[in-house]
Amino acid sequence: MQHVTVLLVNRGIIKLLKQPSAPLGGFAMSLFFLVVYNAGIGGVGFLDAFGDGGYLSFVFPIALISLAMGSSAGAGQALHADMQSGYFQRLYLSPAPRWSLVVAPMLADTLSSLVFGALLLAIGALFGVVFQFGWLSVLGIMVLCLLWSVTLCGFSAGVMLRTGQPQSAAIVTNAVFPLLFLSTTFLPRELMTAKWLLAISWGNPVTYVLEGCRYLLAGTSQPIFLLIALGVLSLTALSSVIFALNSASKIRR
Amino acid sequence: MSTAINIESLFKTYPDGTQALKGVNLSVEKGGFFALLGPNGAGKSTLIKLVTTLYKKDEGHLMIDGSDPDIDFKRVQRAIGVASQDNELDPGETVMALLRFQGRLFGLSKTEANKRAEELIDLFDLQPVSDKRTADLSGGNKRRLHCALALVHKPSILFLDEPTVGMDPLARSLFWEVITRLNREEGVTVFLTTQYLEEADKHASDMALIVDGSIHFAGTITGFKQLVHPQDASSLEESYLTYIKTLSPVC
Repeated sequence: MQHVTVLLVNRGIIKLLKQPSAPLGGFAMSLFFLVVYNAGIGGVGFLDAFGDGGYLSFVFPIALISLAMGSSAGAGQALHADMQSGYFQRLYLSPAPRWSLVVAPMLADTLSSLVFGALLLAIGALFGVVFQFGWLSVLGIMVLCLLWSVTLCGFSAGVMLRTGQPQSAAIVTNAVFPLLFLSTTFLPRELMTAKWLLAISWGNPVTYVLEGCRYLLAGTSQPIFLLIALGVLSLTALSSVIFALNSASKIRR
Repeated sequence: MSTAINIESLFKTYPDGTQALKGVNLSVEKGGFFALLGPNGAGKSTLIKLVTTLYKKDEGHLMIDGSDPDIDFKRVQRAIGVASQDNELDPGETVMALLRFQGRLFGLSKTEANKRAEELIDLFDLQPVSDKRTADLSGGNKRRLHCALALVHKPSILFLDEPTVGMDPLARSLFWEVITRLNREEGVTVFLTTQYLEEADKHASDMALIVDGSIHFAGTITGFKQLVHPQDASSLEESYLTYIKTLSPVC
């Protein structure tokens, strides 16, 4: 990475440390979901469909997904703050590659998501979440978290650059949020009774991320879902980065 | 003398159809002190934003310090320093931190960036506020900080867009002392836009008058005064007002 891009990423991280409301909010929301869902529905964990890991391991991926959804606000907010203050124009007049002005806050945000993701995994492990491949499971889940976070950060930054609205992250989150509930979020596919929901879940990319994680955790899913999750998330991450960069190129009138 | 800025047949139309520049031709000598004058909405800001690479041109040729910004953008960024009339400060950073970071962005090492920040703080008399957050600065100090930021990388061309707005008379006088010294002793080309015509009259030697997206006059300030008032010695402000009134008698 170029020296100037590293500087801009460092600046983004320092900004996040000074104003950690977005990542802390995402982390708190994830823990809340985990505790509430496990407390409310965890009683069904004895069923075979949930495997040895019980309901906590089954529902754990939703906490990882909602973590990035909460913290991806940071990239859009950081860009918006710089544009509102006018400082973005000064950065724009520096020799920093223009792509790095957009990618740096995304990277800072993604790094913060990974740190909180690792913290969440540690908390999960403490409370009995199963990692069937040990450190390889952890690594695989971190890769999925990375790709999911880049996807959300990129769309959040791109929407902000195009609309100029600080609510860009909320727009992205609101668009993604319904997908969480049109998936195998609370129950495995075999226990879902509504055929329409089953049909939608097949076309929902979140399903593959959840199932991919579940394969790595308690092994309650198939390895093919992990491969599909990696493929789908690589595609969405790439699309979101292209969208963000393309949005940045439109700033110069 | 060679040319610092060369503009040929520059056109710019905004997406809403407003034709901001209608074939501008302009040349600024290296080491010169140039003032771009014109009424509000004449195209001054558009021209500055094009020359400083913030806007894209529709048509025409643009050379900054011998480079085309569309081809060698990085070289142009290093050659120019811009103190824009827009607020361009990170409100959460201190004066010192912002100057240091600007130096680092332009490739200075930590030590060099610190040294340069201290030099500029001394030069623009910003010592009393060096540890203050930029959000807490007065208007005049913000203008001086803008100028200091523009000079961090020792550019050869300095763009000053309404630089003294909000400064008290003493701060203004000190500011112009610094700028004229940079121009005379270090050969920095100064490209100024201002509504304070007495400042342009006092410090600049060359000028252009832009009205409704077209250059009406380009040459020396003395030449402009003589063109408008051939018989009497007048100030730039008098000549400017006389000229503008002939274009729009309602004013």
